[in-house]
Amino acid sequence: MPRGKADDRLNRLLAIVPWVASHEEGVAVEEVCERFGVSREQLIADLELLFLCGVHPFTPDTMIEVEIEDDRVWVQLTDWFARPVRLTPTEALTLVASSSALLATPGTDPEGPLARGLAKVAAALGLGDAEDLVDVELGEADAGVLAALREAISRARRVRIDHYSYGRDQRVVREVDPHAVYSQEGRWYLAGHCHHAGGERMFRLDRIRAAEVLDEPADPPPAPVVPGAVYVPGPDDPVIVLDLAPEAHWVAEAYPAERTHPRAGGVLRVWLRWSERPWLARLLLRLGPEATVVEGDASPAREAAERILARYGRR
Amino acid sequence: MDRLERLVNLVAALRHTERPLTRDEIFDRVPGYDGTEEAVRRAFERDKESLRAIGVTLAAEKVDPTNADSPEGYRIRRDEYELPDPGLAPDELAALHLAMATVRVGGGGPVEEALWKLGGRPADDVAAGDGGAAAATSAGAGAAIPGGEHLPVLFQAVTERRTARIEHRGTARTVDPWQLAFRSGHWYLVGWDHDRSAQRSFRLDRLTGEPRLGPPGAFERPPEATTGHAKPWEMGEGDPVDVDVLVDADQAPEAVALTGEAAVADRRSDGAVVVRLRVTNRPALRSFVLSFLDHAEVVAPEEVRDEVVSWVEAIAASTPVAGSAGERA
Repeated sequence: MPRGKADDRLNRLLAIVPWVASHEEGVAVEEVCERFGVSREQLIADLELLFLCGVHPFTPDTMIEVEIEDDRVWVQLTDWFARPVRLTPTEALTLVASSSALLATPGTDPEGPLARGLAKVAAALGLGDAEDLVDVELGEADAGVLAALREAISRARRVRIDHYSYGRDQRVVREVDPHAVYSQEGRWYLAGHCHHAGGERMFRLDRIRAAEVLDEPADPPPAPVVPGAVYVPGPDDPVIVLDLAPEAHWVAEAYPAERTHPRAGGVLRVWLRWSERPWLARLLLRLGPEATVVEGDASPAREAAERILARYGRR
Repeated sequence: MDRLERLVNLVAALRHTERPLTRDEIFDRVPGYDGTEEAVRRAFERDKESLRAIGVTLAAEKVDPTNADSPEGYRIRRDEYELPDPGLAPDELAALHLAMATVRVGGGGPVEEALWKLGGRPADDVAAGDGGAAAATSAGAGAAIPGGEHLPVLFQAVTERRTARIEHRGTARTVDPWQLAFRSGHWYLVGWDHDRSAQRSFRLDRLTGEPRLGPPGAFERPPEATTGHAKPWEMGEGDPVDVDVLVDADQAPEAVALTGEAAVADRRSDGAVVVRLRVTNRPALRSFVLSFLDHAEVVAPEEVRDEVVSWVEAIAASTPVAGSAGERA
């Protein structure tokens, strides 16, 4: 069950109280706001409510003492609230998975503060070696390529990449003004302005054989990069309509579907725009009987299938 | 009255008490449980749910454990409530914060929340001091990992070593969960399958029904119980088969990058490679081979080769859709 608003306030307040109480000299209200991502108004309201809290019979000696003065706050009598609450499974998972994933990324110091921090948290939670419990691979990426792209982005330099275009099934050397490098659904991507194509493009890192940082400055991105849209369909691209069996429903999430419509028997009908024939061929070859073409041109898949069968000596 | 006030007082009362408090005692000592008996009962159930959502689970216990007829009550013991202090240095907390901001798990929700209990976000002047992580964020790099409805409960099963009863593609399985692994965009549960007496991987989005967990500490995790860098074709439940795949020269580097150098069984003079893969997941192997279109083929064993051929033949034989809007030349 998702947490409600009151649950979030309770969660935050029970984390703020021990932190403030551990500072005998009090802390600046502003620092609490920044640390716990809460507005000043909300914080004051929550702390004022805390004045009213304690245990039966609610005499002054059994109430929580809160003092707010000159933009500083003190909390006392909090033996019950001396420590924060244990992490929920979701919180612990998020923390461990994020940290393990970043530690497994080429270029992260395996003995740096992140590794030390994760080990301490794992020990406090009684987890043992957290990296063994949750093993996240963000995607295949050459450490040299990843490092070069990151350097190019942080120094705002153009890069030259030797890239294999999966959609076109050909290799091209391109110069790119890099905007972002990110991992989505288990793959690394580079987003940037491609001078070869003359527009914004996404490139899978596992298809970049080499990357070289150039001296030429790169133009900044025209708009913040939104990860996810690897292929942005144009209005003139053809549409293919597929009926997906339950095992193939991931297609609707993996690619920008124009429309989806659930049908009987767990079948999901999707409308997909496509531009490159090899792309469509691969998708349909992979799906096989899990997808039925309802409408549109499936000839790229049939032709690719014929070429593959020729290779196996069946044509 | 503000419900938050009632919740804080409820936690204080249950932390403060030395013996379990009955419901009536709770309603008596904690202000805000007003109205009809039914309204009070519902309010308390809701409050229990709120506490569970933030990590405090209330379990009823006998007020007097020596008396079988004793009424049941509630309390929160210190060890059930308190997060032990991990003793994080400021740069370590900053690095964890950076990691959570960089790698988002499950999308949605402010990243800070899981860190509130560790002391919140450290002040900006604390450098994480981690070259990789810091560079990743400053360079606009990030990563998104999908969540999953069964992830938290299975994480609990892994960390507390609880045997899990799961339903995978409609079949009931009993598994000692060793690890959660994220590979090629999917979460897997890796563990010991009691029914097959072997290590198996189960894709989480193929689980049907809620996993049910046994008591904690039910098994020992073997030290080698990791997937290492398992490939998609190794993440299956089938019996292992060694499959040789020939990849043409122009695609060979990409193929070897995916399989690993150790899989290379033969390098031909024209630059083509043969990779030998240990396969427990045939569909994943087929997807891998077909992703190279006609630049790769299964050369052995014959049985797997035939499987790929009949799969592709079905696609070649598929008839064009009648009346579809234009087959492109």
